[in-house]
Amino acid sequence: MNMLATECLLELCEERHELEDYQSGVPRWCSGCGDNAILAAVQRLCRDEGLRPEKTVFVSGIGCSSRFPHYMRTYGFHGIHGRALPVAEGVRLARPDLNVFVNTGDGDCCSIGAAHWIHAIRYNMNMTVFLHDNQIYGLTKMQASPTSPRGTKSNTTPRGSTLEALQPLSVTLGVQNVSFVAQAVDWIPENLYEIVKAAYHHKGFSFVRIVQRCPEWLPKVWDPWLHDPQRITILRHERGLQPSAALSQVYRNQLEHDPSNLNRARELASDTDQIPVGILYRDPSVPCYEDLRQNGKLHTPELIRSGLEAEFDKFTVWPQAAG
Amino acid sequence: MTMQAELESPVAFHITGKRSGAELAPVTERGLRPALFARYRDLTALRYDFPLVLLKDARDGECVAALSSLVDKALEDASGTAGERLRAHALRLEREIRVMTAAGATGSLGALLEQAARRVAPAADASLTESLASLRGKLKADGEVLDCDVRMPVRLIEHAWAHAQRERTDSVRSDIERLIVKLSDILLADTARSEGARTPASLKATVGSIHGDLFDFEAMSRLLKRAVPAGALAPGRRSRIERTLAELRAQRFYAVAGGTEPYAFRFGDCASALLAFRDRVAGMARFARAVTIARLEIDGGYSEERHDALFAQLGENRLDLRDLALFPDYLVCINTRALSATEQGELMEILASGLPMKILVQSDDILEPPLVQTGHLAFGTRSRQLASMAIGLNDVFVLQSASSNLPRAREQIRSAMQYRGPALLSVFSGANPHADGVRPYLNAAAAMESRAFPAFGYDPSAGKDWASRFTLADNPQPERDWPLHVLTHEDAEHQSVAEETAFTLLDYVACDGRFADHYAKVPRAAWNETLAPASECLDAGARGLPDKLPSVPMVDADDRLQKVIVDERLLREAVRCRDLWRSLQELGGIHNSHVANALARAAAEAKLAAPQAEPVAAVVAPAAASPAAAPAVAAPEPAQERPADEPYIETPRCSTCNECTQINNRMFAYDENQQARIVDATAGTFRQLVEAAEACQVAIIHPGKPKNPDEPGLEELLQRAEAFR
Repeated sequence: MNMLATECLLELCEERHELEDYQSGVPRWCSGCGDNAILAAVQRLCRDEGLRPEKTVFVSGIGCSSRFPHYMRTYGFHGIHGRALPVAEGVRLARPDLNVFVNTGDGDCCSIGAAHWIHAIRYNMNMTVFLHDNQIYGLTKMQASPTSPRGTKSNTTPRGSTLEALQPLSVTLGVQNVSFVAQAVDWIPENLYEIVKAAYHHKGFSFVRIVQRCPEWLPKVWDPWLHDPQRITILRHERGLQPSAALSQVYRNQLEHDPSNLNRARELASDTDQIPVGILYRDPSVPCYEDLRQNGKLHTPELIRSGLEAEFDKFTVWPQAAG
Repeated sequence: MTMQAELESPVAFHITGKRSGAELAPVTERGLRPALFARYRDLTALRYDFPLVLLKDARDGECVAALSSLVDKALEDASGTAGERLRAHALRLEREIRVMTAAGATGSLGALLEQAARRVAPAADASLTESLASLRGKLKADGEVLDCDVRMPVRLIEHAWAHAQRERTDSVRSDIERLIVKLSDILLADTARSEGARTPASLKATVGSIHGDLFDFEAMSRLLKRAVPAGALAPGRRSRIERTLAELRAQRFYAVAGGTEPYAFRFGDCASALLAFRDRVAGMARFARAVTIARLEIDGGYSEERHDALFAQLGENRLDLRDLALFPDYLVCINTRALSATEQGELMEILASGLPMKILVQSDDILEPPLVQTGHLAFGTRSRQLASMAIGLNDVFVLQSASSNLPRAREQIRSAMQYRGPALLSVFSGANPHADGVRPYLNAAAAMESRAFPAFGYDPSAGKDWASRFTLADNPQPERDWPLHVLTHEDAEHQSVAEETAFTLLDYVACDGRFADHYAKVPRAAWNETLAPASECLDAGARGLPDKLPSVPMVDADDRLQKVIVDERLLREAVRCRDLWRSLQELGGIHNSHVANALARAAAEAKLAAPQAEPVAAVVAPAAASPAAAPAVAAPEPAQERPADEPYIETPRCSTCNECTQINNRMFAYDENQQARIVDATAGTFRQLVEAAEACQVAIIHPGKPKNPDEPGLEELLQRAEAFR
């Protein structure tokens, strides 16, 4: 249906929200924690996009990052460990009018929730997922997670972890129906905000891995990248992101990368020396599960009633027929 | 009569229109027709755009197709002996349908195919029956079959209109049904949560009679009443939703399930269409408003304090032109015969006020005498003027076309139906009873060919300028005054002669019995060099006695070439017709005088400038280079010098980690993007500045120089601050 004149007028009295309208409580994260940067970027997104708090929901699992919904004055669902994605999928199906965001950590998503993660990518439901990857279980005071670099000393790996770290981007890019994969680091706010925004605007399962510092339990692990801008590769493309002049002055290591090139994206994702930052892959043509399930039928009370009756009739014993 | 007078009688005829002498014969004999028509005596023998099939249930894309193209598509993959047999049968059946429809038969393609098969083979023919079944399977489409006759334009436009309406209203209708269900859901949910729904009696009613005794409904009611969530619908909201629902259900613009009988949108005259529109305006405004309120309510976005006032300001009956897009379009079909002055006035009123109406004006006769007889013939005043006037209104979609061209113009017809605003379709049917023995298709095509009824389209939605809006492309050879054709005939020595002949208005009018007096047949013996092609005489425009007489090649019933001269009065009309065409050409960008003048001016200026070419280039060169050079100068903007002793933060790089704000939140604070800045450097000590710089995860705090020289431990602090200069 086209825009009516009355609707145009209604836009005049649209509500305008300030950043403070999305803030709720003082975050309980340690000072210096990268989660704060993610929270600031997301709150800024909500304000700039004019998201109505009552039409927005943040779903999380368990972990430091999963406290995120508490600090957003929107709907929130602090779920159970590893189950943020199934809960978010349910919300999406039942309330297609809501903007659905998911905050999950490396333990929550890549360990206990790994099965849900794989299938959520394949379902490609329209939601924005932030993987706060600090490579450690912080809430439970330092145990190795699947993304901890080999040799990480922790309470569960006192002699250093023995396995190579899992690469969340490579895994995501390997699953059927992947439609949006990006990477950000918490210490480049401008870039983080632009990536969060692009992820929000993508229709489908937008997966953003955010490299996040944990100053409490892994204080030095990201220092080589934090202090050497040359080790960050800014991905730029006319169909991706275009870094500003100010950002380009600091981060001169830039790479032209077409987000529709899946093979190149996989190569970039497996690079452990450099951190590629930007949109690795985007395919807006992948259909969303909720759209595929739409049969266009209007669920009128009559339709629901007749459907139920038909189901009940399968189990009804008809005396006349039996006789 | 003297010899001299006899010789000059063709000239006398040309000037006076009176035939004197025996050698000029009247053109009243039957079967005499323009020579270029010779090949088109029997149209049914040709495979051309007609008959048309109005495709039923065409979901998207084309809703009209030529029978011949449907058959071609069905035969695309026919191969081998069986394929050849199918092809032969299919083409035979197609031709039979063409003969039948030319004789006035109507019906669906399927039915006509059956009839044609019976006509082709009255006795049962197994191979034909097999081909027929196979063809019907391959055609995949059915619908009414139309020949090019007087009824065709109305049926075709009605079909295209209905198709476009269906495409457009389907989504609106389902949207309205959705709004009704969602609004009802809100009321249902409220009822289910209410006290009343939890009384023992109503709980019992929900369980049904068979298992009713198994429950203690008193206890269930007590339990559930305690669990009733607070916050029932406010009475104001409930009544607003009920009012909106009633409005949506009572609307008559769309046929929705369980709704009221919808209005008719097809009219036979402008007056009743206008009357109906005026009657419905208030209802439309109420409906548009109800749709908006319903969407707000479903979205949970209706806020009484803001929206009540807004809707009150809008008023009950206000309807914006943009709101019209929500409603079905009207279709009005009229014939120029019935076009009274009042009707015409109403037609212009509809077009000028931008009402969403598609108006088909069909003319059956474009050579009718003008209402005001002034001595000249003035053909087509009524039929042609409407379309030209409508273009002047600027936002009316206008399509003028002869019926023969309608199949080719189907994309334009589709655009006209989709256009959000008024559209005028002026169509000449060719069904002129005075055109003796000429089929409507041929007559219509000849009218377009001779520029008597040129085809043009004006689509305001296609762009902002005339070049994108206006097109003459459907006309034959639009860049010429008259289209040229090769006329091949046999001369006295039985040799084939091919000559280029223009088809002019004079050729077209020659088909019409009413104008026979303006023509005179010149006997073969009197053919000489003074008889010139009409197109040449039209360009001559000399005064005084003509040295050339305009002649039109015609053929008689036996296909023998004849030459017919034309009187001056008709010639003048042909000049007028050509001038009208030229002005259309200018609008269409062909031989445009503005362009020609501008080109001439540019050429003259270039010629003037030519001798000084080099110095001009020298002057221009630095000027041309300067835009490129300018940014180079502007780019290295002098970096803003900061006083080295002032503390500062690179705010855009702040990652909101709270380290500094926890050290001193009066000195450090967040901006509107939740990024830190120094709000008051004097609100704390230099030590705090240095500690914040050290704690900062991204090292963006620069402490500067201490303000207080007496601060303890300054020397050590200055050393630590050195890392952040």
